[in-house]
Amino acid sequence: MYGGGNTFESAKFEGLENEDPQKLAEFEARIERGEKIEPNDWMPQMYKKQLIRMIEQHAHSEIIGALPEGTWITRAPGFKRKLALMAKVQDEVGHAQLLYSAAETLGKSREQMIDDLIEGKSKYSNIFNYPAFTWADSCFISWLVDAGAIVNQLANARGSYGPYCRALDRICAEESFHLKYGHHCVIHMATGTPKQRQMMQEAIDRWWGPMMHFFGPPDKVSVHTEVLMKWKVKMASNDECRNQFLDMYVPKIWELGFTIPDPNLKKNPETKKWEYTEPDWDEFKRVINGDGPCNAERLAVRRVAEERGKWVRQALLTPKTKYVTPLA
Amino acid sequence: MESLDPRVNRLDLKGFQGNLTRKAPLDQFGTFEVFIQMKEGKPYQHEGIVHAPNEEMAFIFAKEQFSRRSTCSGLFVVETRNVFVTDFTEGEDTIYNYISDEFPKEGDKEEYEFFHLMKRGKQHQHVGSVEARTPQEALALAKPAFINEKPVFNAWVVKTSDILFTSEEDKHIWDTLPEKKFRDASDYKASDKIKAFKERNAG
Repeated sequence: MYGGGNTFESAKFEGLENEDPQKLAEFEARIERGEKIEPNDWMPQMYKKQLIRMIEQHAHSEIIGALPEGTWITRAPGFKRKLALMAKVQDEVGHAQLLYSAAETLGKSREQMIDDLIEGKSKYSNIFNYPAFTWADSCFISWLVDAGAIVNQLANARGSYGPYCRALDRICAEESFHLKYGHHCVIHMATGTPKQRQMMQEAIDRWWGPMMHFFGPPDKVSVHTEVLMKWKVKMASNDECRNQFLDMYVPKIWELGFTIPDPNLKKNPETKKWEYTEPDWDEFKRVINGDGPCNAERLAVRRVAEERGKWVRQALLTPKTKYVTPLA
Repeated sequence: MESLDPRVNRLDLKGFQGNLTRKAPLDQFGTFEVFIQMKEGKPYQHEGIVHAPNEEMAFIFAKEQFSRRSTCSGLFVVETRNVFVTDFTEGEDTIYNYISDEFPKEGDKEEYEFFHLMKRGKQHQHVGSVEARTPQEALALAKPAFINEKPVFNAWVVKTSDILFTSEEDKHIWDTLPEKKFRDASDYKASDKIKAFKERNAG
């Protein structure tokens, strides 16, 4: 899983005039033809920078996203749910590894990326800074946060960077079970006792705001996406992804008799687009800059793991092997 | 801070006096390339990398990372720096057009494995092996077999003895894969439940 939309920084958009114009034209023509860019190909510095940033954030989101769900493994209701949730969380950590290696092909090592995560220098999907109070929260994440992630990932899998696309193909294939599992959990709650239905409704009410934030700020305030779209780094706008998510999942939530805490949410029959109340974007900014309910805990858990695992890493280090950049 | 996760509370985050410093560039494990065979008879295909302190651990990580979810009949790992990589070509141009027939002729013959990239954006696949003294000689010996065939855009050549293969007696590690139905989307059917729910509410 992964939250998109918030990953680019305008400050990094300079220096294009220093690139060799002929090489730049060839690079853009290759992307235009629908070919992938591979690690050994020439690429503008800006393309490389933005890709590292995006893939790295995606990888961090997988690692951090495993935490709120992991909370519920020991308390998942029943053996089958425990097995499934453990398998899902293991998948998410595996996805982080796949993504770190895709970013490594661009020249940033995995350990540098992990250092940047625990030092708070790089971001991850904002939604994981919110707590999972009940089992129903875990069901919401497994079904709908994963669904949102799949919308983003399917779009990005059509992008231009070969190693990232190949990682995403594998990730999307693995996530088909996550989505079905999550839906199964929610259906079970929906068709259960009044208490179970109430728990699920409360989880939907809690998570709807962060879920709307998930795809990033509205297009009119997102900056500098044209070049990224031309280079097929970003494949769909934040609003397009949000609209696609609403189109696919709002009917499925309503079908189970739940309400969504937004009186203005409806599909406009003329434009075929969803209309909704803008979520609180100030809250989004505040949380992404560190002031959310779980930011400190999420990073502290990673920091402790890093510090307490240090002796294992050091005991295993050997000069016989060597860290090098992966080939593809 | 009190977490909702009992396991996090047991970590005693408050008592943690972390003194983390950034890792030195060499405080990292080695890089290993991983190849997977999904079914007996299919070619081994490059799937990605793992970082590990040695090839045995690379093999275990690779098994978990790349053969946890879909069928697998074999995998092998090789340290990235032991892969000899040719240049890249495009269009109809095969890399074998650029393989020189001049190569050093010293040393003993050894077996080398070949991996070809046949389509941009796809993965390298295993095509076979030859005996040679160097990777350059191996490429020159393979040239007649490939030069008039479909274009090869890039080749990787690896000394067979640098690869850790799956042994016959290890293959049982994948025996239980089909039993793990909880990793399969088809194990979560619920349309009957939704239908019954809707009928109950309608009636």
